[in-house]
Amino acid sequence: MSKSTVESREVKFPPGEALRFSIESIKRRFVRALITAVSIILGIAFYVGLRTMSDIMLSIYGTSEAAKSYQLWMAMISLIVCAVGILNSMLMAVTERTKEIGTMKCLGAMDGHILMIFMFEAILVGVIGGLIGAVVGWLAGLLIYIGEYMNVIFSSALLTSYAMRMGEGILIAMILSVGATIYPAYHAASMDPADALRFEI
Amino acid sequence: MRYEYTVETEDLAKYYQLGEVVVKALDGIDLRIRRGEYLSIMGPSGSGKTTLFNMIGGLDRPTRGRVYIDEVDISKLDAYELAWLRCRKIGYIFQTFNLIPVLTALENVTLPMIFAGVPREERMRRAIEILNRVGLGDRLHHKPAELSGGQQQRVAIARALANDPVIVLADEPTGNLDLHTGLEIINMLRQLNVEKGVTIFTATHDLKMIDVSDRIVWIRDGKVDRIEKRVDVVVGMEEI
Repeated sequence: MSKSTVESREVKFPPGEALRFSIESIKRRFVRALITAVSIILGIAFYVGLRTMSDIMLSIYGTSEAAKSYQLWMAMISLIVCAVGILNSMLMAVTERTKEIGTMKCLGAMDGHILMIFMFEAILVGVIGGLIGAVVGWLAGLLIYIGEYMNVIFSSALLTSYAMRMGEGILIAMILSVGATIYPAYHAASMDPADALRFEI
Repeated sequence: MRYEYTVETEDLAKYYQLGEVVVKALDGIDLRIRRGEYLSIMGPSGSGKTTLFNMIGGLDRPTRGRVYIDEVDISKLDAYELAWLRCRKIGYIFQTFNLIPVLTALENVTLPMIFAGVPREERMRRAIEILNRVGLGDRLHHKPAELSGGQQQRVAIARALANDPVIVLADEPTGNLDLHTGLEIINMLRQLNVEKGVTIFTATHDLKMIDVSDRIVWIRDGKVDRIEKRVDVVVGMEEI
C-alpha cells in the first residue's frame, strides 16, 4: 500500500473549522443562545450587583466585622444562585443536541472534535453573557447610591474594586459555562452513536 | 483495492439486558454482502433490523461475533480508524433524516468532507454536484426545516455519498415518507446502485423495496429466516 493511504486514515477537523461551526451554530440558534445567555446575564448581574453594593457599603460605613461577614454571605449566596441558573440552562442546551452529536459521529467526528465545538460555543456565550451581566449588575449596584453618595462611589479605590468584580463575574461566567457544557457534551460524545441517535429528552 | 465482499458478518449477536430478561435482538447472523449489491433486510418491527444496521455501520458494539468491512474486522479498529471508517467508507441514511438543523443543505453535504480533509473549494464543487444529481440544485441554501420530507431525505442521500463510500446503509429510509415520495427515494437509491455501483444495504419493512433489491434477507427474532434472490419477473413500479 502506498504511503498516502496510511496518512489519509485519519479524520480531520481543524480548530478553525470548529470555531466557524460554533459561531454559525450560535448565530442560527440565536433564540436558544439568547435564553442561555440571559440566564448567564442574570446570574452574573446578580453577583456583580451585590458585590458592588457591598463594596460601596463598606466604604461608606466602614469595615466592621459584622459588615465583612455580611458581605461574605452575600457573595456566597449570589454565587450559588448564579451557578445554578447557568448550569441548568447549559446542561439543557447540550442535552437537547445529543442526537445531533450522534449524527456528527456518523459523519466521522471524533469525541474531541465534538468537545471542541461545544467548548468554543460555551466560551463565546460565557464571555458575552458575562460581560453584559457584569455591566448590568454594576450599573444596578451603582444606581442605588448614585444620588446621595456621588463622591464616594467614584472614588479611585472603588473604581479598582468595580473592575475586579466585573473581571470576577466574567471569569465565573466562563468557567461555569464551559464546565456545564463540557460534562454533558463529553457524556454525549462518548456514547455509541446508536445510543446517541436513539436519545430522547 | 477491490474486495469481493463489502460486508461480512460472522455469528453476529447483540443481547440487551432489560431488567431480568435478556432480549436477543440479534442472535447469530452470518451475512455476506457483495460489492455492488443491493441488499434489503426485511422483517417485522422488533426483528432486529435496526440493530443489524447499527452493527454493520459500526455505531454499536456487538455482544458476540464480528463485522468485516472490506475485509477489515471493525472491532479491531481504534477510535481514529473507526471515525475514519464512518467518514470515508460508509454513508448513513436514517428514517428520521438526521440532518443538522442549523446547517443548510449544502453545508450538511459538505460536513463529512470537512472531516475527510477535502479542501474548501473542492467541497463546495462536489457538494453542489451531488445535490444537483439528487435534484436539489435549487435548494442549496435551504435549511432542513424549509424542505419537505422527501427533499430532506435526498439531502441525506447526498450527504451519504459525499465521501464516495463503499457502502450506503439505510435504516427505514422510506419510513417517514408517503408512498409516492418513498418510491422516488427507492428509485434514486437503485439508480445510484446501478449507475455508480454503490453497494446498498437497507433495513426496511417497505415492500416496495423488494423490486429494486438484488437479494432480500428476511429476519425474524434476530435470526436469518430466509434469503431470497429477486425473482426474475420484475413487478413494474407502476403496478404498486
